[in-house]
Amino acid sequence: MLCDRCKMRDAKVLYTEIINGAKTEQHLCEECATDYTSFQMEKPLLTSDMTLNSILSTLLGAYQNNNTKKPGESKANLVCENCKTTFDEFLQRGRFGCSQCYRSFNSELGKTLRGIQGAQAHTGKRPKGYMFATDRILKDMSDEERLSLELQEAIEKEEFEEAARLRDLIRQLKKEEANNA
Amino acid sequence: MLKWYEQIVPDGDVVISSRVRLARNLEDYMFSPLLKEADAVKLVNEVKNITSSLADQDTRKYYSCNIKSLSDIDKAAMVERHIVSPLLVDKEQTTGLILSEDETVSIMINEEDHVRIQAIVGGMNLEKAYEVASHIDDIAYDKLNFAYDDKYGYMTSCPTNVGTGMRASCMVFLPALSAARMIQKLIEEVGRYGVTIRGIYGEGTKSLGSIYQISNQKTLGNSEGEIIQNLNRIVDQVMKQERKRREYMLSLNTDEIEDQVYRAYGILKYARQITPDDAMTLLSQLKFGADCGLIKFDREFNIHKMMMGVQPGSLQWTLGKNVGSTTRDKSRAEYISKELPRLML
Repeated sequence: MLCDRCKMRDAKVLYTEIINGAKTEQHLCEECATDYTSFQMEKPLLTSDMTLNSILSTLLGAYQNNNTKKPGESKANLVCENCKTTFDEFLQRGRFGCSQCYRSFNSELGKTLRGIQGAQAHTGKRPKGYMFATDRILKDMSDEERLSLELQEAIEKEEFEEAARLRDLIRQLKKEEANNA
Repeated sequence: MLKWYEQIVPDGDVVISSRVRLARNLEDYMFSPLLKEADAVKLVNEVKNITSSLADQDTRKYYSCNIKSLSDIDKAAMVERHIVSPLLVDKEQTTGLILSEDETVSIMINEEDHVRIQAIVGGMNLEKAYEVASHIDDIAYDKLNFAYDDKYGYMTSCPTNVGTGMRASCMVFLPALSAARMIQKLIEEVGRYGVTIRGIYGEGTKSLGSIYQISNQKTLGNSEGEIIQNLNRIVDQVMKQERKRREYMLSLNTDEIEDQVYRAYGILKYARQITPDDAMTLLSQLKFGADCGLIKFDREFNIHKMMMGVQPGSLQWTLGKNVGSTTRDKSRAEYISKELPRLML
């Protein structure tokens, strides 16, 4: 059977794609399969002596290549300042060097994690007593600053009754402050 | 206090145990591949220091040790009882362990991550296992500076563990589904729900005696509760399928199966030497017979405890000495014969 895409070479791969529940099947040759999918067909993806580590880094690399084809975009110089691991080394090893790596590779990591985890942010447990960065900032704000922020948010959401209430609260605070001073 | 494998447990005919593992790392150390030996020693000592907090804030008794100080037999026996991973005992660097007396809680130090908290309970009870592990996590966090990020959650050495750092798994006994060659299909089916099935000693190990591990694949994006709920639903389905298949097998040829179970008992009780693989196969047949009510013992008896007891490490541990495989096969037969209860005929 000839390849469905190039119609020249023998088809060796049956590629099934399911997008939003619609299933399409294509018979592809190795070249077109490599081109069309993120799998490396000329080298077999799995060999008997392959460790989980190398499979993982293959996958990580594949996701990355798939996602960074835009010209002018460079990720090569992402280096973790703490442990000196580069983003490429991370992809190769499939391991972070230290916790700081997560922050250093932040700009590229979302895509990688979405690839292997199907998500890019944690929604589960928080350590007891742990405060989000935003909460920490909020905590350090004065009442007036916090109310102004809430006011802004209410206006953006077009909740005008709430906005009016907040505006009055802020006015009252200012008045009290002036009186105290 | 009885160990988890000595208790009568919910759904024990299919689910042998439920386990939750939480991966944690300390902010001030390099992750495992970059950690220097001197820092490994420091790390192990720092983490071992929480043992006294655990003793104060938890009802269990705790012990800690350096893995290097253990004998090979101890190490093998602990791997077989699922207290530690093969990686922890084989690692050249200094590694450590904190273990509760009842073997419910184990904390591996400097495995793939700095700290791996594991809780294991008998039968189908992932909620309980998580409750225990999470409580230990809270106690440990008081003393240890775990690496946590607003966005990424618990930061782990490998990106496949980031977020919750949680691997929840059930050890399941699936003789009927294996006999029907339905495991491969099952693996494909559950894979679509982000769940994997593999051999009993984790990644890349073979299944022994029709025992498998079902666990979550993804650790990021869903909360611990959601991951457990999802796994519960899958294990529940697997359990139903296994039970249905057992009934079907029995209805098809009760006599043959009954004969097989009694033969298994006969060999186990009277063999003079037996290999671990043979022992596992026969014990698996015996457990199947007991679960289906084909065979009754004259006292309470946990077959899974014996399944662990016949493994080379545990056996030598019981014997208290290192012996060659032929001698082991004899000792194994002796051990089984002595421990196996009589039948109620």
